[in-house]
Amino acid sequence: MPEQYAIEMRGITKTFGSVVANNNINLNLRQGEILSLLGENGSGKTTLMNMLSGIYAPDAGQILVDGKPVTISSPEDSKKLGIGMVHQHFKLVDVFSAADNIWMGREKSGFALKGDRYDEIEAMAKKFGFDLDPRKKVRNMSVSEKQTLEIIKVLYYGAKVIILDEPTAVLTVQEIDKLFAVLRRMKEEGHSIIIITHKLNEVMDISDRVAILRKGEYITTVNTAETNEQELTEWMVGRKIDLNIDRPVVEKTRPLLEIRDLTIKNDEGAVAIDKVNFYIRGGEILGVAGIAGCGQKELCEAIAGLRPIQSGLMIHKGDNIVGLPPKAILEKGISMSFIPEDRLGMGLAPSLSITDNMILKNYAAPKGPFVDRKSGREDAQRVIEELEVVTPSTETPVRRLSGGNVQKVLLGREIKAGPNVIVTAYPVRGLDINSSYAIYDILNQQKQDGVGILFVGEDLDVMLALCDKIMVLCHGRVMGVVHAHKTTKEELGLMMTGALDLTDKYEDKPAGIARDTNITEEQLKSAQEEGEN
Amino acid sequence: MGFHIVKRDSCPLWKKALLYVIAVLAALVLGGVLLLAMGVDPLAYYSRMFTMGMVGNKIAYKAFENYLKVFVPLALTSVALSLAFKMRFWNIGGEGQFIMGSIAAATVALKLGPVLPSAITLILMCLAAMLAAGIYGAFVAVLKVKFGTNETLMTLMLNYVALYVLMFLGDRKADWNFFLQEQSARPVFQSFADLASFPKIMFGKFGLNICVILTFLVGTLVFVYLKYTKHGYEISVVGDSAGTAHYAGMKVNAIVLRTVFLSACLIGLAAAFKVGTAGVLSTAITDDVGWTGIIVAWLSQLNTAVIFVVSALISMLHYGSVAAAATFSKVDSSFANMLQGVILFLVFTAEFFIRFRVVRNKKGGKQ
Repeated sequence: MPEQYAIEMRGITKTFGSVVANNNINLNLRQGEILSLLGENGSGKTTLMNMLSGIYAPDAGQILVDGKPVTISSPEDSKKLGIGMVHQHFKLVDVFSAADNIWMGREKSGFALKGDRYDEIEAMAKKFGFDLDPRKKVRNMSVSEKQTLEIIKVLYYGAKVIILDEPTAVLTVQEIDKLFAVLRRMKEEGHSIIIITHKLNEVMDISDRVAILRKGEYITTVNTAETNEQELTEWMVGRKIDLNIDRPVVEKTRPLLEIRDLTIKNDEGAVAIDKVNFYIRGGEILGVAGIAGCGQKELCEAIAGLRPIQSGLMIHKGDNIVGLPPKAILEKGISMSFIPEDRLGMGLAPSLSITDNMILKNYAAPKGPFVDRKSGREDAQRVIEELEVVTPSTETPVRRLSGGNVQKVLLGREIKAGPNVIVTAYPVRGLDINSSYAIYDILNQQKQDGVGILFVGEDLDVMLALCDKIMVLCHGRVMGVVHAHKTTKEELGLMMTGALDLTDKYEDKPAGIARDTNITEEQLKSAQEEGEN
Repeated sequence: MGFHIVKRDSCPLWKKALLYVIAVLAALVLGGVLLLAMGVDPLAYYSRMFTMGMVGNKIAYKAFENYLKVFVPLALTSVALSLAFKMRFWNIGGEGQFIMGSIAAATVALKLGPVLPSAITLILMCLAAMLAAGIYGAFVAVLKVKFGTNETLMTLMLNYVALYVLMFLGDRKADWNFFLQEQSARPVFQSFADLASFPKIMFGKFGLNICVILTFLVGTLVFVYLKYTKHGYEISVVGDSAGTAHYAGMKVNAIVLRTVFLSACLIGLAAAFKVGTAGVLSTAITDDVGWTGIIVAWLSQLNTAVIFVVSALISMLHYGSVAAAATFSKVDSSFANMLQGVILFLVFTAEFFIRFRVVRNKKGGKQ
């Protein structure tokens, strides 16, 4: 008798217009295992999973649940079959409480909202070992709490098969550990789990088997114990790839950008960046590590002139840039690119073409009332060629490109302008290995050309390999600036949580203040006077 | 066996055109059914409507002149609205801005018309109407920029304010109210047709009103403005993402104010054209162009060239139904409004089929 799988997908094909997202895919999930689904951006992982959760219907192929052929034509069907999916973008109602978010999708929940639903859901969360306040509103929850709620929701609906789409992308190291503990416990209780992730170390850590997709094709499924990261990468990318990130040694220049005693408030009026000091030299990459929402966004916006600061100095090559409009800061050669969680929010106009996005920052440069699209088109063409952007043409709206290509367009434009300081936040957010390495190469190239780079990142392994120095933020305060080749992940982790403060490590020189500073005595004095007033 | 919906990658032009034609035909068929139910021969009615009563008419040129009088304000208002819509500023206040422009133009005509030469009066009428409408529109933009108010609600409400101001002026006999005829005991709007009226260029008996030429000129300018100028580029970036515009160093608030002012100004110009050809105010001076213009702008997907085609068709519907009502007394001109609604509905349905296609679920794929 053949093995009975929890889920078996046979010959699944799904096309969107002329794009084949999935071509004849075979995938099976054993009872009580954790299966990693691995593949680059656009390899069809999410599409395949959306067919299990009833969002798409396959064009061809068959799905078997517990050995029986089924048709899943709506999320409702999927729920009835005991399949639950935790999407990358949470499907929660912000103004509802945790309990109500679960309650509203329940079958036969009745007409009236009864008070006992809080108790019921709390009890059920306890049963699975979760800590959840059922009365807490979703909008007041952290990312990790929202994810927990999503998991509880699918468990509550009685899911035996749980699909998680890139659950770790938005979590900190500690939260990932917590999540994996939860997944292991669910596995022990007999749940079968499919997890989509880009991070190979997580694949090795959590999964029993790994299924690999490449460009919509099914490649293979292997036992995790019998493989290694190098082998998985080759399957995924289709060729050998060097997993080491270079850190070229470059002659450093005097500080390009110096930040002194910078204090910034966030949108709610709370202090987001608290008396921060740091400097960037030409030819170095300064990493910024910190748990999400520790003032990284506010810092980037302030440097770009998009957010007013409370106090402090921002000196670029000896000139104060505090209070300058965004345009003047651009003209000084400071480029800021911030990839927000939705990847499109800042820096690009999604409905406009690549050409139109290329000219975004210098459209006003030509004389006369007209914009110069011709040179914009040439720039677009060059960026497409040099960074291998996959697009039908230069006139394609940016929102139709896949994530990696969008980010390449953004970085390509920033680099084309020939900046001397690049501030980049999460440039590889959500990117696959190939695209990520392409971006690291771009940054290293810029570094070798003498550009100073502030790299706000989330993956500590990458930052340790790529950056020259790493500044750690915790609740808006600098916990120290360390040399990347001298520190460890553990040390950074402790600093990120605020348990370790290395700001006074060197007594002769406080962290973040350069000896060969460009800041003049008068600037410092006037700033201090201003601070006192 | 079921069906599901699949997104199309692209849709060839001929298919798009075909779908739109089918949509319009289907609307006409639906209208035909209604006509049959009323005991009217649909074919006879439609032929009367689409020829706008010009065939077999000795003064067909007159009919065409009158048709253009319907077309000009609609086309110009739609073009003006598309400017604001492109920036995702939902200017629903075309009616109010049109009315304010009309009142301003009439004021100039009545007060300055007797003392100034007609050409100068007309130019001043245009300028006054543009200024009045522009300020009326920009007022909402200022509130939005300063206090973050909702422009949809504000412009909508101001429509009624403007309408009731006009009704008040048309209703209130008083010494100060120069808008009304002095000699009449009943309140009647004072005509100024002999003081200020836009000139016509004569082609035989047919007189091409100069407003038509100006409308096409303005349309071309707006097309170039949106497509090739820095201002036009700023409008599309602000419309797409205000955050990105800010990041690119654009002065977003100034762009919003400027664009809304311009949009409302052009609506004011449309009002001046209307007033300057009608020669008299009326409480129905707008002919609903502020509303219909919204429909036209969206049907045309904010494409300036297409706006002219669509307004020509919609005007044909409106003017044609009035002409046909002369023969078919059972069907009044409201029929055109209904037909317009059905067409709009079906064109949006066609749009769905341009973006998606419906396919049958296939079974199998077993190995």
